Amino acid sequence: MSPRLRATAVIARRRILETVISPGWYVAQTIGLLLAYLLVAGFVRAVDSSGFDYTLAPAYDLIGRSLAGAFGSTFVSKLFAEGPFLFTLYVGFLPVLLYLAVSSVFRFGLEKKVGALELLTYGPADATAYFLAALVKDLLLTLVSLVVLLLFLLVAAGLNNLVLGPAFFSSLVILFFLCIAIYGYGILAASLTDNSASAIALFLGVVLVFSIVMIGSFTVVSGYVRNLASVFAWVIRWISPLFYWDLALRFAEVGNWGLFALGAFLLLVLTAAVLALSHLTMKVRGVRP
Amino acid sequence: MTARRGAALLVILLGGALGCGSLAAQAPERVEQFVYSIAAFNGLDYAGTFARREADTIYLLAEVDNFLTARNGLVYFWPITGEWKLDLSALDVAFEGTLELSARGQPPRSLGMTPYTYYNVRGEYELNWKVATEAEAVAVVQHSRDLISAYYEAVADYRQERMEYEQGLQDMVGTIVAMREAGEDVTELVAEVEKMEPPSEPQPPTHYVVPPVPVQQAFIINLPVGEYRIRMLTADGAVMEGSERRIVTFARRRAEAVGLEVIPGDKWTRPVESTSPSSVLYVDGSTDLYLRPFYQREFNDLFYEKMRRNDARGNPGLMKWVRIQQVPGAVVETAAGAPAAQPRTVQEAPFFVEQLPGAALGYRIVPFDPVEHTDRQPSLRAFHLPLSRERPVLRVRVLDRDGRPLPSSQRQVRIVAPSVRARWALLLAAVPLLVLVVVLVLRSRRVSR
Repeated sequence: MSPRLRATAVIARRRILETVISPGWYVAQTIGLLLAYLLVAGFVRAVDSSGFDYTLAPAYDLIGRSLAGAFGSTFVSKLFAEGPFLFTLYVGFLPVLLYLAVSSVFRFGLEKKVGALELLTYGPADATAYFLAALVKDLLLTLVSLVVLLLFLLVAAGLNNLVLGPAFFSSLVILFFLCIAIYGYGILAASLTDNSASAIALFLGVVLVFSIVMIGSFTVVSGYVRNLASVFAWVIRWISPLFYWDLALRFAEVGNWGLFALGAFLLLVLTAAVLALSHLTMKVRGVRP
Repeated sequence: MTARRGAALLVILLGGALGCGSLAAQAPERVEQFVYSIAAFNGLDYAGTFARREADTIYLLAEVDNFLTARNGLVYFWPITGEWKLDLSALDVAFEGTLELSARGQPPRSLGMTPYTYYNVRGEYELNWKVATEAEAVAVVQHSRDLISAYYEAVADYRQERMEYEQGLQDMVGTIVAMREAGEDVTELVAEVEKMEPPSEPQPPTHYVVPPVPVQQAFIINLPVGEYRIRMLTADGAVMEGSERRIVTFARRRAEAVGLEVIPGDKWTRPVESTSPSSVLYVDGSTDLYLRPFYQREFNDLFYEKMRRNDARGNPGLMKWVRIQQVPGAVVETAAGAPAAQPRTVQEAPFFVEQLPGAALGYRIVPFDPVEHTDRQPSLRAFHLPLSRERPVLRVRVLDRDGRPLPSSQRQVRIVAPSVRARWALLLAAVPLLVLVVVLVLRSRRVSR
C-alpha cells in the first residue's frame, strides 16, 4: 500500500470514529427517519377507494399542489405512482446528506485555517490523503445511512401493506453515486477557499446552481424563462452531478440497465475529475490559507 | 351633518362597489390576430386548437395527417380557465395561398390547400379515424349524407306506415265493437286484428361513429419527426406578416403498454387511470373496483399537451402515457397474495348503475340484467374486481383474446388503511438516537477506565 493510501486509511478510520461518537450523524439520521415516517403515514391517510389523492391529507395537499404547480401533474403522478417511497427516499436522506457534506466542508476549511492540515503534511500525509479520507468517511456513513433508511422503509412498507417499487431501488442506487459527486464538489469548494464559512458558502452555492438549473429545465414555465434555463442547463449540465443522476434515472425508467450503469459510471468519472482538480488546487495553493 | 356625511360616504362606497362590479363583469378584450387554426390528430381523435401570434411553435404528431388553416380571428384570454380562446363568430377571415415549409438542410417546399374530410367508422372499441381528400372526400361526405337521407326517408315511410297501421287498427276495432253491439260474430275480425303487425322502426345508420366533417380546405401536414419552419405566401408570392412559425413533429417513445382505467364502486363517475407500468394501485378496500384495460402510448409531456392545446403548459423533461384505445377481447387475470397463488380469470361484463332510493343519493353497481333492465343500456362494461380486507394484495394482469399476457399490464392492488400497528415505525425512527446513547455510554465507560 502506498504511503498516501495508508495515510488515507488511518485518517479515514479516525474521522469515522469521531463521527460515530458524536451526536450529529445520529440526529440527522433520526430527523430523516422521522420525516420518512410522516410522509409514509400521510400517504396512507391520503388513500381512499379510488387510490392516492394528495388532497385528502393536509401535508400532502401542500406538497402535491406545490410540486404540481412547479413541475406539472404528470410529475406528481409519476412521483407517487409506486407509492410514497420515491419521494420519501430523497426527503428522508436529505438531512444526512447535508450533515455529512457540510460537516466535511466545514472541517476541511477549519483545519486548513487553524493549521492542523499543515501539521499533518509534516508527517506522512498530504492534503490529497486528507480529503480522500474525508471522502471515504462520507461514503461509508452514506452507505450505512442509506441501508438504515432502506430497512426503515421496508418495515414501514410491511406495516402499512405498501411495497417498494423498481423506481425506488434504481433511485437508491444512483443516489449513492450522486452523493459521491456532491462530496467531491464539497472537497473542491474547501480546497478553493481559505476558511470554513467561505467553503460552505461556495459549496452550497454550487449545489444551489446545479439544483436551480435542473429544476429550471424541469419546471413548467413558458417562454424565455424555460428557454434561458435550458440554454444555461446545456452549458452547466456537463459538470452537474444532477444531470448524470437524471440521465441514469431516465434510462432506468425504460429498463435500459446498461445505460443506467453508464450514468453511474459517469458520476464516478465526474467525481474523479473534481477530485483531480482539488488535488491540483491544493498542490498549487498549498495547505496554508 | 354627520348623517349627511354618512349618506354621502355610503353613496361613494356603493358607487365604487358598482363600478368595481361593472369592471369585473367586463368582457375580455378581443384582439384581431393572424392565427393558424389546427386540427391535430392526438392518437385518439382529432382535436382543434390554434396558434396565436405569440405562439411561435406548433406541435404535431409525426406521420399522421394534421390540418392547418390560416385565418384572422379575434383572440382573447379567458381568465376563468386561464386559456386563450379564438372567437370566429365575429370575425373569421380565412386566407388562401401556399404554405412554405422548410427543414434544416433541405430546400423549402410549397404546400397547397387540399379539400379534406375526416371521420371514423365503427370498430370493436376503438375509433378508426380515416382521412379522405379531394374527390374521395366529397364522395365520403356524400355517402354519409345519402345514409342519413335514406334514414330520414325510412323514418318518414315508417311514420306513414305506422299511421296507416294505427288507422287500420282503429277502423277494425270500431267495426268489431259495432258488430259486437249488433250481436254478430267477430271471431274472424279479431283473428285478423291479432295478425296485424306494426311496421318495424328503421335504425339510424351506424357505419360512421363520427360522420365526416363537411369538406374544407386546409394545408395537410404529415411529416416525419423533426423541426420545420413554415410561412404563408399569398397568391402573388408575398410572405404574410406574422405567419412564420416553427413546427415540431414528434413520435411516441414507447407503445403497446397497457394501462388500466379503475372505476371505484362508490365513485363510478370519477375513474382514475393507472398508467405507469410499475405503478401500484393503493386503495382503502371500502368498495369493489371495475377495471377497463387500454392500450397506451408514451409521449413527451410538453409536446403532447401543446399539441392538444397550443397555450397549455407541460413538462419538457417528462414523458407521459396517453390512453389510445380499449384492449379488444381482453381478459383480466387476478391472483391473491404471493406470485405463486392460483390465478383466476375475470371476463368483461355489463353493469348497470342503480340509483338508491332515499335521501342518501347513493347508487350501487349491479350486473346488467336484460330482463330486469328492459329498454335500458348497460351503464358500463368492465372487469369486476371484488376487494376484501382479507386479501390485502391482489395481482392483476391483462391477457389478450388468445390468452397471452399483454406487456406491462401487471399491477398490484393493495389495500391500505391507517392502523395502530403502523405507529411502531415511529419508534424505529428513534433507533439512531438509542444507538447514540449506547455508543456514548460505552465510550464514557472506556474513557473512565
